Amino acid sequence: MWRFLGGRIAMGALTIFVTTVAVTLLIHLVPGDPVQIMYAQSQGTTPEQLEEIRRNLGLDQPIHIQYLAYVGKLLHGDLGYTIRGHQPVLDVIMQRLPNTIALAVAAMIVAIAIGLPIGFFAAYKRGTAVDTGLMVVAITGVSIPHFWLGLILLFFFAVELGWLPVSGTGPLNIVLPAVTLGLSNAAIVARMTRSSMIDVMRQDFVRTAEAKGLPKRVVLSRHVLRAGLVPVITMMGLQFAYMMGGAIVVENIFAWNGVGRMAVEAIFQRDYPVIQGFILTFAVVVVCVSILLDAVYALVDPRIRRA
Amino acid sequence: MTIRMTRLGRTLAVAAAIGVAAAAAAQARDIVWARYGDIDTLDPHRATSTLSLQTWSLIYDTLLATDATGAPVSNLAKSWTSNDAGTEYTFVLQDGVKCHDGTPLDADDVKYTVERAFDDESPSVTQASWGPITNVEVIDPHTVKLTLESPFVALVPFLADSFSSIICDSNKDADSFGTSTAIGSGPWKLESWTKGDKIVLKKNPDYVNFGKLAENKGAPYMDGLVISVVPEPQARLAALKTGEVDIAEPPFDDVPALKESGELDIVVAENTGQNVFWEFAVHRPPFDDERARLAVGHATDAAMAIELIYGDLSIPEACPVSRGVFGNDQDFCLQYRPNYDPEKAKALLAELGYGPDKPLETTMIVWTGGNRQKLAEIFQAQLAEVGIKADIEIMDIGTMNARVRQENETPTGKGSMDMMTWSWYDPDILYALWHSPGAYRGYTSPELDAMLEKTRVLTDPDERKAAVQDVFKVLLEKGIHIPLYTPGWEWVFAVRPEVEGFKVAPFVYPIFNDVTIGES
Repeated sequence: MWRFLGGRIAMGALTIFVTTVAVTLLIHLVPGDPVQIMYAQSQGTTPEQLEEIRRNLGLDQPIHIQYLAYVGKLLHGDLGYTIRGHQPVLDVIMQRLPNTIALAVAAMIVAIAIGLPIGFFAAYKRGTAVDTGLMVVAITGVSIPHFWLGLILLFFFAVELGWLPVSGTGPLNIVLPAVTLGLSNAAIVARMTRSSMIDVMRQDFVRTAEAKGLPKRVVLSRHVLRAGLVPVITMMGLQFAYMMGGAIVVENIFAWNGVGRMAVEAIFQRDYPVIQGFILTFAVVVVCVSILLDAVYALVDPRIRRA
Repeated sequence: MTIRMTRLGRTLAVAAAIGVAAAAAAQARDIVWARYGDIDTLDPHRATSTLSLQTWSLIYDTLLATDATGAPVSNLAKSWTSNDAGTEYTFVLQDGVKCHDGTPLDADDVKYTVERAFDDESPSVTQASWGPITNVEVIDPHTVKLTLESPFVALVPFLADSFSSIICDSNKDADSFGTSTAIGSGPWKLESWTKGDKIVLKKNPDYVNFGKLAENKGAPYMDGLVISVVPEPQARLAALKTGEVDIAEPPFDDVPALKESGELDIVVAENTGQNVFWEFAVHRPPFDDERARLAVGHATDAAMAIELIYGDLSIPEACPVSRGVFGNDQDFCLQYRPNYDPEKAKALLAELGYGPDKPLETTMIVWTGGNRQKLAEIFQAQLAEVGIKADIEIMDIGTMNARVRQENETPTGKGSMDMMTWSWYDPDILYALWHSPGAYRGYTSPELDAMLEKTRVLTDPDERKAAVQDVFKVLLEKGIHIPLYTPGWEWVFAVRPEVEGFKVAPFVYPIFNDVTIGES
């Protein structure tokens, strides 16, 4: 078990390293540098002063030197300063990261609360009109763009009914973005649960359990559900990571103050330290979630521990 | 399974209940102004974005202010004089002005601000706009003298702009200056700034309005002002409709319907200084020849295109610096700007060997957003009428700036033109754009350089105006900078009907001092 986890952690560290290198290289391929953008559309500095500012920010150095300097500071726990406004990147990210995680968790709760029972029920009723009906709903759910669903929910619940606030970051404000993000993921969870449960229902041990004369309820909850959940958990882990990154559209619609929106702004402003900080944080979160999942996975399924 | 779900349901219900309680606790009535993005910093020496500038203008005050036409007037400085050579400026400050922490605002604060902008370690990002200041001298607590190495007339309008916000010297000891500390003497005090979310301001009860464009001579009428971030235009509109937000930029396509229904008032900023114009990659064919550039000018019917896309929200502009900026004169510029004349455009193109069988091919680079892509499509159709085939490329402003410079530095290839957008409070902007080496490495010439240098040093307003207009003439006649329209971005405000007294000063500075909110 520990050897297994150790291996996963080493792989995770490598993933994070490769990601940061790739991002540093890629971001410099995009035309325009942050100093130029900061002075776009308003005059105020001579070309010589722009060069001076670039020098102060270390932007005149070759990319590999910039990267090494970045890693050097990183090892001291220093993510650098934002180019816009000169503030510590760590503070800027940490102010928003809890909001993004809260949104992803809330959306996950919505997705599970809706998707799991639907998928399970559809599997139970497989081949019937109920099954087909539920899956049509699920496919529709996957196909609806966040942008459209978000605006519809916003106009209905916030403008027409006035039950919920339109935008901002707060306890009541989380409902609409979480539902928007959760609903489309609920559809994915439902489909995944259904196919996984159907697979399990066809297996020998389920038939044996039924043959033993166990009540249907016990067979479903104790045998089918438990075995069928393993792939669903994996998929939910991936979905969680996706929701943290993919929440950008939803964050924008509802003005939810998360890291996704911050990252998009930073990309437009070529604020390299913020982009690097975001990718690093994101990579760490995704890697941690996947290691955690592997651990859960190993606990649920003893065969994995030994592999 | 059933048990798990019930627990979950209970947790959700509890969470929702806590949420309702928290929301009910915060129900005080402030002015809420929503914008698409956040500020970079509260430190006026560390950013250049309009969003930041507008916020500084609420917290800090400036030595001078602008009148409705954009001209500088007295403010914190009740008077100012300069020597004949234009190398010394002396400002006499108002009596009894207090910083937000209660300390008096005096000549030391002005000295602190200017010296901070010229700090060797970390100078202001707009240091050059202050001009070649070599010394700041406190003559007495209410008199301060700036000495310049050489004359720089753009200093005066600069001192009316928020870039030159007077920072109280009590900020000196605060490490958090710019993030959670910002002591100024403006109408609003900083309460808090949650990055990416909102800035909360409270009224400054000691505020006295000396020169800002507000009728209210004292503190703002409302107790608080919240500047919140709502990036999505449709969400801003929704928040305006529910009353969550009082003032915000609406989605363009909804403006006519809003005006018609009277549901929201529409306020349009005037004298913004924003200039949208054609410019060209001039170091290679076809636009190395001024006839090709002028053909584009003659083929463009800006008035028609603007009418179609913006209705009466924007207007054609004839001068290279827009209304509100020193030297702007529509009649003067119209004499030299290539006017809409498709036949003349065709004749010029024929001279260059282009015709129906051989169109002039170019890319047209356009900044994304603000319905500019639709405007570009109309221009594209107008150009096609005379035989110019333009391929539109839409991009964000950062990419666009890099790309335009790159096009100027590339000696071969297809023609390139772009719909550029700049704003500044003084014609000195033209120095940045067209004096060697040029902001985008575009058109420059020794003659134009000399003319631009003259605009920086002439202290007599009439002489300077003539010099500035000489520059206009060259830019327009040679088709270097062909103005299209003004304003161009972030200038339309939708306001809830119960909000009274909201106005926007020149250069898009909203003023909240007169605002009152009645029953909705």
